[in-house]
Order: sequence, then C-alpha cells, then structure tokens
Amino acid sequence: MPSRRRTLLKVIILGDSGVGKTSLMNQYVNKKFSNQYKATIGADFLTKEVEFEDRLFTLQIWDTAGQERFQSLGVAFYRGADCCVLVYDVNVQKSFDDLNNWREEFLIQASPSDPENFPFIVLGNKVDVDGGNSRVVSEKKARAWCASKGNIPYFETSAKEGINVEEAFQVIAKNALKNGEEEEIYLPDTIDVGSTSQQRASGCDC
Amino acid sequence: MTSDSSSRSSSSDEEDEKSTGKKPNTNSIDNSLDAIENQLSSISFNAPIDENTATFADYNHESVSEINDGSLTETVGERRVISIGESSSSRGTGLWTKNMEVEVEMDGSMASPSSSGYAGERGSSGSVSVTSGCGSDGVREVRDNGSTAGDDGVNSLDTDRGQWTSGKRHADEDDTSVSWRKRKKHFFILSHSGKPIYSRYGDEHKLAGFSATLQAIISFVENGGDRVKLVRAGKHQVVFLVKGPIYLVCISCTEEPYESLRGQLELLYGQMILILTRSVDRCFEKNPKFDMTPLLGGTDAVFYLLIHSFSQNPATFLHAYTCLPLAYATRQAAGAILQDVADTGVVFAILMCKDKVVSLVGLQKASLHPDDMLLMANFVMSSESFRTSESFSPICLPRYNPMAFLYAYVHYLDADTYLILLTGSSQAFFHLKECRIRIETVLSKSNVLSEVQRSMSEGGLRIDQLPVDPSARSGSLFHLNQRKPSPETVVGVGGPAGLLHFIYRSIYLDQYVSSEFASPINSRPQQKRLYRAYQRLYASMHDKGVGPHKTQFRRDENYVLLCWVTQDFELYAAFDPLADKAVAIRICNRVCQWVKDVENEIFLLGASPFSW
Repeated sequence: MPSRRRTLLKVIILGDSGVGKTSLMNQYVNKKFSNQYKATIGADFLTKEVEFEDRLFTLQIWDTAGQERFQSLGVAFYRGADCCVLVYDVNVQKSFDDLNNWREEFLIQASPSDPENFPFIVLGNKVDVDGGNSRVVSEKKARAWCASKGNIPYFETSAKEGINVEEAFQVIAKNALKNGEEEEIYLPDTIDVGSTSQQRASGCDC
Repeated sequence: MTSDSSSRSSSSDEEDEKSTGKKPNTNSIDNSLDAIENQLSSISFNAPIDENTATFADYNHESVSEINDGSLTETVGERRVISIGESSSSRGTGLWTKNMEVEVEMDGSMASPSSSGYAGERGSSGSVSVTSGCGSDGVREVRDNGSTAGDDGVNSLDTDRGQWTSGKRHADEDDTSVSWRKRKKHFFILSHSGKPIYSRYGDEHKLAGFSATLQAIISFVENGGDRVKLVRAGKHQVVFLVKGPIYLVCISCTEEPYESLRGQLELLYGQMILILTRSVDRCFEKNPKFDMTPLLGGTDAVFYLLIHSFSQNPATFLHAYTCLPLAYATRQAAGAILQDVADTGVVFAILMCKDKVVSLVGLQKASLHPDDMLLMANFVMSSESFRTSESFSPICLPRYNPMAFLYAYVHYLDADTYLILLTGSSQAFFHLKECRIRIETVLSKSNVLSEVQRSMSEGGLRIDQLPVDPSARSGSLFHLNQRKPSPETVVGVGGPAGLLHFIYRSIYLDQYVSSEFASPINSRPQQKRLYRAYQRLYASMHDKGVGPHKTQFRRDENYVLLCWVTQDFELYAAFDPLADKAVAIRICNRVCQWVKDVENEIFLLGASPFSW
C-alpha cells in the first residue's frame, strides 16, 4: 500500500455538442485523436494519474454529452465536482455564447458551497481548423468573458494537434486542488460525545 | 417434527420440497428488458474510447436480464425513447444496430436467463469465459481453481487464507486487468459523487472511472424517483445498497441469493460505521466532494477479514453469535467478575476467544446486537496491533448508536482470548486498565483462562457424539467429551444416518451453536460450499415474499439439507445426499434434544439481557 497520500479530483467537462470535449479528454489521457465524430451518450469516464508539485493525483474525468436531452442527468453528474471545464469551438459562435448557460447550469445543479470561487476553466478548442481562417471567436473576446466571470483561466487548444492540452489539464488539477484543500478539516467532527450512551442505553432498539 | 410438505416426493436431482420453492425472481423478466438495456447502454456505450467503459459494458450490456424492482419499468420505458431518439438523430447508426441486436438477444434470453449471447460476447473479449456455462457453485469452483492454477492469483477466498491480517490484495489491478474481471465477488464503496472509497480488489484510484459509472447508474435511476436494487447479467448479480451519501455495490457470480449479498453489503457498511460513525454523513452534507478514503487509511485488513468471514462464519447471515463451550460454573465465574466491573461505568464487558463469546455483560438493560459483536470482533481480530499491546480505541456500534463513538479498551489475555471493555468516556483508559487487571487476576486464579484454552483445543459439539438413544443422554458436553465415541454410532459417512453437520440457532438468545466440521467436510472449499448452502436455505426460509416456512427438505447432488424453524429455534442440518428422509428427521429431533440437554454449556444463559 502506498503510504503517500493521493488525492482524487472529479473533473466535469461541459460544452455544446461537437466542440471536442471527448477529443480533448482522449488526447489528454490516451494521446490519441480521431477525426471521426461520435456523440457521447450520457457520459464517459476516464481516469488519469498525474504528479504535480511532488504529489500524486487521480483525475476522474466526467466527459458529458453536449446534447440538451442528457441534461436530465443533472445533479447526479455534477455533485461533488472539484473542477468544471467549459469547452467551446472557436469556429462556432453559438458554442461560445452558450458558455454562460453551461456555467450557470453547473452552479445550480452542483450548488458548490462557494460558487464565486468555484474553479472553472475555459478551453477554446479547434484552433487548428483551416489554419485559423474559419475562426469567429477572437481570443480577446474569450478572455474578456473569462475575466468578467471571476478571472477564469483560459486556454486555446487543439485536441487534434495536442496544443495546450497538457498545460490546460495541469491548471485544472492545480485549481481543483486549491479549492479542495480548505474544506478538508472535518474529521474532528466525527468524534461525538460518547457520554450520552448511558442514557441512550435503555432506549436502544435491538 | 411437523413437515408441511414432506409427504411429497421427487426423484429429480435438485429437489426442493418447500411449498413455494420456486425462486421468486425467475419469471419476472418482462418487456422492459430491452429498455433497461438501453438505459444502461446509454450511460456507457462509448466504449471504444476507453477501456473503463468497456469493462462496465461487459458487466451490463450483454444480458441484463432483470432489475429486481418491477416499478422500474416506467422510468426505463421513458428512457428507451430517448435512447432511440439519440441514435437516429446523431448519426449513430452503429449504436442503433447494436441496440437492435441487443433486443433480439434479450428476446431470445427469455427462455434461458443466462443467454448464449452473454457467453459469446464474453468469450470474444477473452475475459470471463471461465464463469459461463458452469453448473453449480461447487462445480465452478473446482473448475476455476483448476483452470487458473497457473494464472497468477486468480483465486477465491480459499487460497487467500493464511493471510488473515494482510491488507488489500492485488492492489495493482484495475478494471482493465483480466484477472480483476475474473474475480468472482467484488465489493465497492463509493460516495454519492462517484468518488471511490473502497474496493475489495484493485486500486481505488485506478477504479475511479468504474466507480463513476456505478454512481451514474444509481443516480440515474434515483433521478427517476426510483431505486436500483439488483441487476442480473448472465451469471453476475450487481447488488446496490444506498446509505445516504454512501453507495455500496457487490458484483458477484457466486450464485448467492440477493438477500444474502445485500446483507453482506449491510455488514460492510456497518463495519465502516464502526470505524467512523455516521458523522461522515454530515461531512458530505457540507461538502459533497468530501473524500473519505483518507479517513479509512490502514483499514483494508478489517474489510478483508470481514469479506472473508462472509463465506466462513455463519454469524454473518444468521445474525446471532456463538459461545465457546464451557462448563456452566466456569462461564458463571467469568460473568461474575465482568459484572463486577460493569457496575463501575463500563457499558459492555465482553470476553471473547477468537469469534466465540466466553462471557458478556451489559450495563443495566443495554443490549448488544449480534451484528455489532461480529463487527467489533472482526475489527479487533483483524488488527495486529491489538494483539501486541493494550489499546484504547474509539469504536462505534452501528446497531447501538450509529452516530456516536464509544471507547473500547482491548487487551489480549492470551493468544486467542481477548477482553473488550466499552465505555462512553474518553478519559477512562486508566480506570479500564485497572478493571482489566482485576479481571485478569480473577480469571487466572479461577482457572477460567485455562478452561477456555482447553475448550478451544477440544472443540465443541461433534456429530459423532450425538447420543444414540435417550437413555445415553448425559446432560454435559464435557462428560461426553471424555468418552470415546462408541463405534456403533457411526453409520456410513459422517455421523449417525449420514449427518454431516448442523447449526442450531436459539431465537430468544440470539445465539447459535454449530457442530464441528468432520469428515468428509474437511477442506475450506467444502466448508464454504456448505455455508453457502445454509445461506441459501436461510434466505429462502426467511423470504418475506413467500415465507415464512416451517420446514424445508432439500436434496441435491451434495447434501440433503433439512431446515426446521419453530418459535424457539432454527435448525439447519446437512446429511449425506443419500440419507433417508424419515431417519434424517429423527436425527434432527435428537440433535435438538441434545442441544437442549447441554444448553447450559454451549449458550450464555440469563446473563444476556435479551434472553427473556
């Protein structure tokens, strides 16, 4: 048994259908890319172990389906997330416009204890397409939106070329971890007063 | 002895004369099957990307032949529409075809729940062909052991023994390992956000994806206002238990009844509560992403031993405890000194020898549930550190008060005998230490400890000592023990009339007594097989749907099993498969008489508050 303490981080990937969520994850975990599109049904789960600042992490990546009809999976999927990754396609305006909905939907469903500081990260994907000529969302615009939502870290990525993918997930791990550490001091809570047991004794059900 | 159906006879191999003997679930496969299938597959069909998903699909998508809860149909039906919509709208022709195949398969499998489709698909993935097409549990075990002899560590519990206090085994595995998939019985604990807490085999973190999948299934059904209890997939059963923010799952191909597996999950949960209390629930309320794994650090051995005992210790399904046989006066002496200290603020004082109780005293009317005793004994026995020093440890008794810790002073008096003193005060260590010294002094002076050791080495009730006729009854086990078994009592295999083994459970006492294993049930696998048979018998006798039953006589290729339930006791007896029914019934009566004759010595009487 490894004595080193390991941390498990639940990472949710959200974004419109077809922006490349699964491809990003696949590039990150398996270093593979496929041009073929296959819609994710419900959700996919991948794990990746990373070492960061001399500590060991397991990223439990929840790759969700972009289609609206799967949003009924709601609470169950979002509950207990350590980090949320919002993905859009720099070549599709609507996918960028929808980021706001995704973010708000997540905050409603997951209802994190400190929504203001919940770690999001935004990825503008498919920067490789057409040499950047078909791009409709500028980096400036994207960064402005991120800044307005509490300085969300922003990366421009290409799942196909593997651009910035590793770097983005490094930040994901870092931010998820930063958010998690403050809330882990609950153990003393579990030690309850045992002295009540004598009174309880007579009324105990067996 | 009354038998409500013993007049019926049957010459079939598997003979079950219980009036409603059919398994209640066999016919419940209905039209929603393919819908369920769609539901599951829609969660995890994207297999090619990821091995994790593929594994899950292996478990579920070939032939989910049943979800035990009929009420699932509605949600599931709705889901099916969504799934079909999905496949037509998103260029998913491959998926559509796959669903069609599945539907056909399912229709075909109505006749035989373990469909050939299952075996076929499994075979092609090269993983679990071992488990398909096997007959009884026993046959499979033999075959497994044989076929995997050279396959590093693919084994059952039988080959695990000897490592009682070891931690987790096969920690290097994950859900992509062939060996992991071949394991016959998996246990998982996870949080409601899908974070792994415990896995019997493999590394929890590597199983994070698998764990997420389990959470997705549970939560999905929950979203529809329903609960998933059981999924059958070929030979595999997936049993779910939701305890607030804690989810427990067992995946098993051991053919144990659903009720037994669920009971094992309950015990697993209880063991976790014993270590942490249910205060962990509050942590999850405040912080859903709470990671419990660190809190359970170093407790792998506790769960390991508990899971081991599921197939070795009848207390895990009888919900009763057993006593070490002792002369009445000896047990009284032990009880008296325990009572002495109990009057000084000790909530419970328990003297145990391995998993057997020597004596037990509770403060006033406080009573100790047998399951709590099992879990506590398991906790103590699994931790090497208890053996080597006196310890003071917080312990929660889930049936007594799941929210609060008691404090347990634990001290081993000899290699097998240990004393547990439970108190509500965290300051009581030195007081309890004094109590222990007093107890230890009295116990050694009065020779209780040496008697305990003697009893331990001599063993308990032996079937070859079953008194032949009423005139030979002596009323004392210890008298009998000194007598050589007379040769004429041994007829054929085992004890008289082919008696192999029995368990007698006293309902009022919450205690059971089990005969010592004797030839031909010598090996662990044989003993495990017999316990599994008892377990099935217990589950069927206590089946709320078709029970309660008074008697059951069952003959298969391994045993004749006879069960008799009255208001006072339950008797489970195993005979040679060729045993004559009338004779077997007579022997059972004699066993009951024998147990009554020696009850002073095999049970803890009077002292226990729930006795009258």
